[in-house]
Amino acid sequence: MGGFIHYFSSHFQTLGQEFWPLLVGGLANGFLYGMVAVGYTLVYGVLRLINFAHSEVFMAGGFASFFVMQHLVGTSSPNGISSVLYILIGILVGGLTGSLIAMAIERVAYRPLRKRNSPKLAYLISAIGASYFLFNFAGKEFGRYSVSMAQPYTNHPLFTIFGAGVQMYDIIIFIAGALMLFGLDRLVTLTKLGRSIRAVAQDAETASLMGVNIDRTIALTFMIGGALGGAAGFLYGMNVGVVYTMGFTPALKAFTAAVLGGIGNLRGAVLGGLILGTMESFSVAFLAPSYIDVTAFGILVLVLLVRPTGIMGERLGRSA
Amino acid sequence: MLAGATLKSAYYSQLGRTMKIRLNKTMVAVATSALLLVSVPVAGITAAANATAKPTYTIGYQGPLSGGNAQLGLNMEYGVQLAIQQANASGKYKFKLRFQTLDDQGDPSVAPGVAQGAVANTNLVAIVGPSFSGATAASMPYYGPANIAMVSASATRTSLTDSTANPNNNTFFRVVADDSVQGPADAKYLVTTKKIKKLYVVDDGSSYGQGVASQVSTSAIALGATVTTASVPGTTQCQAGTGSTSEYSAAATTVVGSHATGLFYGGYYCDLGLFLGALKTAGYHGLIMSDDGALSNSLISGTTPRSAANNVLISCACATSTNAAFNVAYDNLAGFPATNATYAAEAYDAANVIIKAMSQLTTISRGGIVAKLKSSGFSFKGITKTIKFQHNGNISGSAIYVSKVVNGVIKQLGLE
Repeated sequence: MGGFIHYFSSHFQTLGQEFWPLLVGGLANGFLYGMVAVGYTLVYGVLRLINFAHSEVFMAGGFASFFVMQHLVGTSSPNGISSVLYILIGILVGGLTGSLIAMAIERVAYRPLRKRNSPKLAYLISAIGASYFLFNFAGKEFGRYSVSMAQPYTNHPLFTIFGAGVQMYDIIIFIAGALMLFGLDRLVTLTKLGRSIRAVAQDAETASLMGVNIDRTIALTFMIGGALGGAAGFLYGMNVGVVYTMGFTPALKAFTAAVLGGIGNLRGAVLGGLILGTMESFSVAFLAPSYIDVTAFGILVLVLLVRPTGIMGERLGRSA
Repeated sequence: MLAGATLKSAYYSQLGRTMKIRLNKTMVAVATSALLLVSVPVAGITAAANATAKPTYTIGYQGPLSGGNAQLGLNMEYGVQLAIQQANASGKYKFKLRFQTLDDQGDPSVAPGVAQGAVANTNLVAIVGPSFSGATAASMPYYGPANIAMVSASATRTSLTDSTANPNNNTFFRVVADDSVQGPADAKYLVTTKKIKKLYVVDDGSSYGQGVASQVSTSAIALGATVTTASVPGTTQCQAGTGSTSEYSAAATTVVGSHATGLFYGGYYCDLGLFLGALKTAGYHGLIMSDDGALSNSLISGTTPRSAANNVLISCACATSTNAAFNVAYDNLAGFPATNATYAAEAYDAANVIIKAMSQLTTISRGGIVAKLKSSGFSFKGITKTIKFQHNGNISGSAIYVSKVVNGVIKQLGLE
């Protein structure tokens, strides 16, 4: 018992020193998870299907921006306004590539099945097939080594909160992630396209009777989710480098985040991402680094047991 | 900065070269099959010519030729290939050699299938490798009973030569010192030479990384240092495990929080690269040392930002080749310099050890090679060292070298 108390008190002590750095790092990861998670949730909203090829959208965004950064930045070390410009270019390139790949996935792995009214299992398998094709193709074309991206900014602590240095990298992710997720929320709530997406999510058949072009709406939904996923691929790759298998774990985590927040619910996906990122980060101090994935997927199992609809999950059919 | 650019271009030229070689291989295969088709009508003549030709035997190389750790495998593949090409070109042997690559991805779950395939090839008499310890242990149950000599250039896990832990290790040999030598030497270097009092030891959860890391911790504690240990499993990003990159930033935070002045990482370059970036971001300023699994230029190209790899110390039972003839021939074949290719010289030596054993046999057989390598009179003066095996397959006598990353280039400092 004494050992037990000592274990926890010593861990609380480390937690005291590291609380803020762990929180900041966890939230930054959380924003990335959130950006990928909305891709899952959007597609789930309109199709009631999980797009298991979404991890490759993330990877494609990472690689496209890697090549552009290598060309533009090279070995220079930009800072100030040029950094902002490069990062914007990276986000645009990653986002554009992501949405194109997502569109291609919809065309090849989803639309033909939809036209044929195939069972749900068929979509699942064709998406996994598309995912395997894409990452192996990337491995063949770009090599199988992890390579670091030319850095469009110089990383250094910008300011401190309660003694924790907040890094430039974290700030970039916070700002980029928050702006894009806010933009997406507005897009879905206010625009005509957003209304069609919500209409298709509620009742596809009735929506088509009301004049909503279902094919176009579904394709655009994939593309919007793909844009955020691809941009997240750039932001992630900027910090840890790119490799053909880079999509697998982050996408699985993002899927967990989407389920945690309530699959089909956009704001839920973001909230789920932030909670997951933070919990993971703290599990390192509380338990051990090797428990990080146990924590993440333990949360998933708990959510599915206790509240299968997720934290913000409304009635499944009415979300997105 | 110049170094970064050169490195990058070297990396791409290497990729290009690899592809070219693959293409050449395909073309050779196509050409050979075309020739075979043509030669069908004149089969009688061909058979007559073959009667006087030298017998051909296959030597394999087993290691990671794809996946996140492929760089190490490629380094060794070219070494073996070079030894075989030179042996065939010299014309002084009464046999011809054929080369076969066996790609196990360094993965213990892939290795058994690869080993079974190799055993089934009756023309294959011995292999260089396997390269990774886990894959080696997983391959032993196939090569051992088949009496195929495995001469590894890099598998350093201590228990591989322990016949209780690995009962089928009767045909295993290695041309490098094992971890029971490397770990304690590294600990002594950190604690005695570098005066580290508070050491943080991290492993990647692989059998190789854990082996080295636990040796370092045990020896460092014995030398009076305070040691904290943590296991951070390898990532899918590096194809070495199931972990994720997000754990590195949190792990780096705890390293900084521990106020350790030295960090030892037991594992491979790919995950270490991810960890180094996180350590820099977290503001770690202490000494960082790793093992021979990290000794690769891909450590620098895979670290974001690349400067985070500077000043990292890397220990290895291997030495950088100073043999000029080998270095030139290797560069010509591989398209990248031997001085940057960890274990290339050892793989070259390992292949030449097998060739020498074969040349001393009157009848060449799988078992004959094993017996020859084990015989007390056998020794071979390689380009790295004089190779002579103990009865358990370990090399007799060896030293540990230490290198340092200086401005994006790995420089050998000398003996520890």
